[in-house]
Amino acid sequence: MPAPKNASWADEVEYEGEDQVETWTDANGITTTIEYRINEDGKKVKVTRRTQKKLIHDRVNKSVAARKKWAKFGKERGNKPGPDPATTTVGENIKLKLSSTGQVVQDVDEKHEEMKAQLQNKKIACRICKGDHFTSKCPYKDSLGMEDAAATNAAAAEAKAAAEPEPSSGTGSKYIAPHLRGGAGAGSGPSSGVGGSKMGDSAREKRDEQPTLRVTNLSEDVTEPDVYELFNRFGHISRVFLARDRETNVCKGFAFVSFTMREDAQRALEAVDGRGYDNLILHVEWAK
Amino acid sequence: MRPILLQGHERSLTQIKYNREGDLLFSVSKDHVVNAWFSHNGERLGTYEGHIGAVWTVDVNSTSTLLASGSADNTAKLWDVSNGKCIKSWEFNTAVRRVAFSEDDKNLLIITEPRMGFPATVQIFNVEGGLEGEHSNEPEMIVHPEGPKITVAAWGALNKYIVAGRENGSVALIDAKTGDVVSSNTVHEATLTDLQMSTDRTYFITSSKDKTAKLIETATLRELKSFSTDTPLNSAAIMPKHQEFVVIGGGQEAMDVTRTSARQGKFECRFWHKILEEEVGRVRGHFGPINTIAIHPDGRSFASGGEDGYVRVHHFDDDFFTFKFQI
Repeated sequence: MPAPKNASWADEVEYEGEDQVETWTDANGITTTIEYRINEDGKKVKVTRRTQKKLIHDRVNKSVAARKKWAKFGKERGNKPGPDPATTTVGENIKLKLSSTGQVVQDVDEKHEEMKAQLQNKKIACRICKGDHFTSKCPYKDSLGMEDAAATNAAAAEAKAAAEPEPSSGTGSKYIAPHLRGGAGAGSGPSSGVGGSKMGDSAREKRDEQPTLRVTNLSEDVTEPDVYELFNRFGHISRVFLARDRETNVCKGFAFVSFTMREDAQRALEAVDGRGYDNLILHVEWAK
Repeated sequence: MRPILLQGHERSLTQIKYNREGDLLFSVSKDHVVNAWFSHNGERLGTYEGHIGAVWTVDVNSTSTLLASGSADNTAKLWDVSNGKCIKSWEFNTAVRRVAFSEDDKNLLIITEPRMGFPATVQIFNVEGGLEGEHSNEPEMIVHPEGPKITVAAWGALNKYIVAGRENGSVALIDAKTGDVVSSNTVHEATLTDLQMSTDRTYFITSSKDKTAKLIETATLRELKSFSTDTPLNSAAIMPKHQEFVVIGGGQEAMDVTRTSARQGKFECRFWHKILEEEVGRVRGHFGPINTIAIHPDGRSFASGGEDGYVRVHHFDDDFFTFKFQI
């Protein structure tokens, strides 16, 4: 948009930023708005907004309908209808997981505590620099880690540290999922029980370490609870991730199921792989 | 579910309440203001201004025309719900702890606390005048109940009795005509923090600092069910529909909060199966203890107000309604 002729030079700068806005609506009724603007750092950014409008009809009581038309008052006097972002915001998504066994929540916590207690006295040793932190948090990871992979392997073997043993095959540099490494079943402890110091990191680490199955060839109608139900019989499930299409929100045909125990996952893999479900044959394998 | 966060207060919430249809949500806090919200989208309808002290309690009548609030500035006020105008203010000797409209909207129960030599009072005012009528300055009934301080109260079925919860963990039935204490039962070990009636008022739920919430029959004050947790409780509510649940919430005392992380503080709304006394789920989100919980009368959403000054309105996902408890 060119600046109006009569605008002062100070305004011109403002006008430069907000220019072309593209808007289109696709077959699914999703409106995409792309606008380019210049942010505080003076960089041009592309902002893509995808919105889907859904008209929901709701029958309400007459008095409720009448109240909707009330003029705002008090501190809201004169404000236009609709939620004011200053007072009303939408929080992050929270899952209310309902379970029939009241103990689930506590059990996991206790296990966690137990693990923590066990690890209290265990010495944590970095495989790269032998410091008392986790290998993944080593400050020398980038500089030492790569070139000396073989050397550290040897060192780790020598030191027979608390850390999990590396795969014996010579491919030291090839990444192997933690749960597929030799001692994952017994040795998943050292890095999973980080404790409360850095919740985010430890949670992610824990998740990555968990034995996870990849389930493919699921039908479109499958939902998380379905997957949960299917695998729950084999043992405690810590996480179910079902890939969904961003637009249509239907299942994309695969899911990841994380178990707490590796044995359970193994049993589930053997039992469910090749089984029919929703007129499709499921394929289950270890997630890579 | 995505909670809607309502930031209308600057201090901790003291009570929240849905109206009869559940389209409006009223919240009061220690910051002197009463807020009214549309519950479906969190839009603020307006504020009721006039109190000059922490507002402890709020209630709305069944037709959503009158709003009553009680405050630490020693007043209880009556408001016009639709425009925020104060239509009546009663002055007391001490702070007002609880207000409640009777089932027929004719009477207003007001509980004041004992302080500085003044005894606690249970007073009933006639509010039949509604929006236009005159409201008497004098209560229809006033009693100075003996015994421990009353912290919470509600009307029983058909306005015959007032159910009061006291500081020592006991609940008492007070005759609404004579003011006599008809019966009393010590159900909790510590002070009662909330008391909410079931839809038909034949039983109610209490929450207490002794870490338990209990279902109690109104007529006999007999304990029906008990929900035992690991944290002091500040509020409890009964799900009116869809699921046989109760929702209870609390958390570490506000004064101890700075010493713990949010996780250890246990600031979660806990869902318990009402009949089987089993915990079924939790909803986290508050940074501080949960002070008050209210459930939408149609059971499709609930709201919680916390020490952190936020009200969080949660609309349940579809799987909530299809959930079946497996024994």
